[in-house]
Amino acid sequence: MDLPALFGAIGHIFEPWTFFMLFIGTALGIVVGAIPGLSGAMLIALTLPLTFYMDPFDAVVLLIAMYVGAISGGLITATLMRMPGTPASVMTTLDGYPMARAGKPGRALGLGITASFVGGLVSWVVLLTITQPLSILATRFGPFEYFTLIMMAMVLIASVSEGSLVKGLISGLLGMLVSMPGVDPSSGMPRMTMGFYQLNGGLQLLPVLIGTFAVSQVIKDCMDRADMPERNKMNTSGILMSLSDLKRSAGNLLRSSFIGTWIGILPGIGASIGSVVAYTVAKNVSDRPEEFGHGSEEGIIASEAANNATVGGALIPLIAMGIPGSVIDAILIGALTIHSIQPGPTLFLTNNDIVWGMIAAALLANILMFILMTSTVKHIAGLIYLPKAFVLPVVMMFCVIGSYALNNTMFDVWVMLVFGVLGFLMEKARIPLGPFVIGFVLAPLGEEKLRSGLMMTGGDYSPILTRPFPLLFTVMAVILLVWPLIAERRRKSKAAK
Amino acid sequence: MRKLLGLATAALLATTGVALAEWPEKPVRLIVPFGAGGTSDQVARVLQASIEDADALSQPVTVVNVGGHYSIGARQVMESDPDGYNFVIIHIALMGGEGTGALDFSWRDFKPVAATGEFCLLPMVRKDSGIDSVGQLLEKAKAEPDTLIMGVNIGAINHLAGVMLQETLPGAKFRFAQVGGGTANFTALTGAQTNLTVLSGAEVINFTLLPDGTDNPESQIKPLAYTGPERFEGLPDIPTVTEEGFDMTFCIKNWIFAPKDTPQEAVDGFANAVGAAIKTERYQKFLADKGFSESFLTGDALQADLDATWSAIEPVAKLAAQN
Repeated sequence: MDLPALFGAIGHIFEPWTFFMLFIGTALGIVVGAIPGLSGAMLIALTLPLTFYMDPFDAVVLLIAMYVGAISGGLITATLMRMPGTPASVMTTLDGYPMARAGKPGRALGLGITASFVGGLVSWVVLLTITQPLSILATRFGPFEYFTLIMMAMVLIASVSEGSLVKGLISGLLGMLVSMPGVDPSSGMPRMTMGFYQLNGGLQLLPVLIGTFAVSQVIKDCMDRADMPERNKMNTSGILMSLSDLKRSAGNLLRSSFIGTWIGILPGIGASIGSVVAYTVAKNVSDRPEEFGHGSEEGIIASEAANNATVGGALIPLIAMGIPGSVIDAILIGALTIHSIQPGPTLFLTNNDIVWGMIAAALLANILMFILMTSTVKHIAGLIYLPKAFVLPVVMMFCVIGSYALNNTMFDVWVMLVFGVLGFLMEKARIPLGPFVIGFVLAPLGEEKLRSGLMMTGGDYSPILTRPFPLLFTVMAVILLVWPLIAERRRKSKAAK
Repeated sequence: MRKLLGLATAALLATTGVALAEWPEKPVRLIVPFGAGGTSDQVARVLQASIEDADALSQPVTVVNVGGHYSIGARQVMESDPDGYNFVIIHIALMGGEGTGALDFSWRDFKPVAATGEFCLLPMVRKDSGIDSVGQLLEKAKAEPDTLIMGVNIGAINHLAGVMLQETLPGAKFRFAQVGGGTANFTALTGAQTNLTVLSGAEVINFTLLPDGTDNPESQIKPLAYTGPERFEGLPDIPTVTEEGFDMTFCIKNWIFAPKDTPQEAVDGFANAVGAAIKTERYQKFLADKGFSESFLTGDALQADLDATWSAIEPVAKLAAQN
């Protein structure tokens, strides 16, 4: 652990302009996270083009602050309106909303905010301690190690994403398919361009992301003419947890934070799963499981501690191995590569300041989030009721500008629109978008690693099974793929009896 | 005398008159067919600022990045209006792509404007490889063909350099593997996944020397030779490949091209602006920091250099496409 570098990075963030980035990022993240229909992934995808013109350090600070803020802001709407502002807060609605209805909205928000803060802190400590050792291990990873790790990650995403395994796989495969046009990694030749020279470099991540996450949501919100949900009376009494509260919940807080961190580390699984798992575990070990779903304090704490903990967890494989731990991390990789920074094992060597900037930003954004949320939650809650007629055109405008600014071509704007429609249709068919994006990001990486390995061995596949790490990853991938199928068959045969 | 003075004034008026009345009337676009932050982008942005420093154009230069594959931005310029306001900055990839068949257009479809900012490469091996010179490296590649793994970006500059190097000793053959650019190759070579690669001078200094210029004992890789016509200032102890007895120079210049039918006046105007820009302190400092040489060429000298580069690169690119 390089403490001087960490303190250096913290000092850097406290410089006025960089601190402004941290502040704006956290605040915007919270607001966007709180507004249903606007997600953190969308905010970050839309901010990415602006970071082209920024110092890379400021850019990562801004993006990470947004990430932390967006995951946290979701709890406001989840609690007050029973609408999760971000998917990660789904579990919070189960207990937060009943508690708020029962006349304790301040208490419900306060529990969520403090749990978010603790979750963020715990995962940050893990991030700080294991990232560098892991990156040293990862320098010994050759192409076959990477290839099998990526395969395992892709199976994992498909098998644990929301909805059925088959729909997760369809989504992932679709993402892999659209990543195929572009430069063939073992011949250097453009392929599958369908006569569009603009596709010589493949479909660009940014317009695809903005399309699938932002444009699709705009289309959905336009179609969706549901009335505004009922407002809950807002008061902020009980917003700060007392010491005895903390003491009583310490076990739950820590357990949920560690669950969240661990799930965050697993490549490709986002905050939603972390919060679902922590909630389920909390319910199973609770003395009062019957309260869950009717305003249980433990439920709110488990869900919010875990979803914030996934942020720090997900940054670990991103920094150490260049593999995204979540959808937002996939976008962060895009941001780094735009600044010619290659995430992965050498990041500590080549861009030490940036790595420590990311780590420091994760801590400071978390602290700032806590301060901002406790002090301004009342005002943020008011923003939620902004009419969509004002919000959506602005979002759409940013989508177009953002896609155009990447390469200064209209082609990317058309790509964005096409993927907006595709994303909308996928959501209609209840096909999750997460695996699609991860497949899109990981497939080219996996292909390049496999073909690179084959070029080194002269076409010999055997290292996949003869080297220890590739063997381990392959076996785990097979288990992950087969297990849900077996479990389902068993359940069915039981049900039949 | 009077007559001579009058003639000179007339000539002066004529040149300034042309410059003011016709070109440039609006900002000049310089397209970088690569993402922001890469070498070409850095050269373009320093040129832009230096042209301003030198006050060499009456209108600003706008640098526009067109990412994805480099052929996209290059083709955009090729097909744009030849009105004198569209330029592209690109390097040997344009010729490599034509030679390997990746591109369906040629550098000859453009009008050359200027060249500047040249860098050469260094073949790198591991310190524990037992190889101390390019001669030993090539002998080994000949004695055990297709076993030494060279990390490259297939079809790109480092791949072409590898093919060119192995061709200097008949029978020598490397096994090329897709790894990527400088940083990825540094990792792969350090992790002993590959046996050799090539890096640029700036990368070698960055990866193998301590900030005070002495050898970094923790670095596990070392350069064998320099592919430039003369030794690299930043690493004066490293011989050139030619000094070692192998006929190879391989350097990469940044070229500025315009659409084929661009008026000569605009071509000359922009070339002169570049010429003025490279004399500025800003540009000179950039060259020194990056280990680049000035290598400013225009007109016939540029055309001759392009022809020579093409005749050297075409056969290499064709071989690379078969590897």
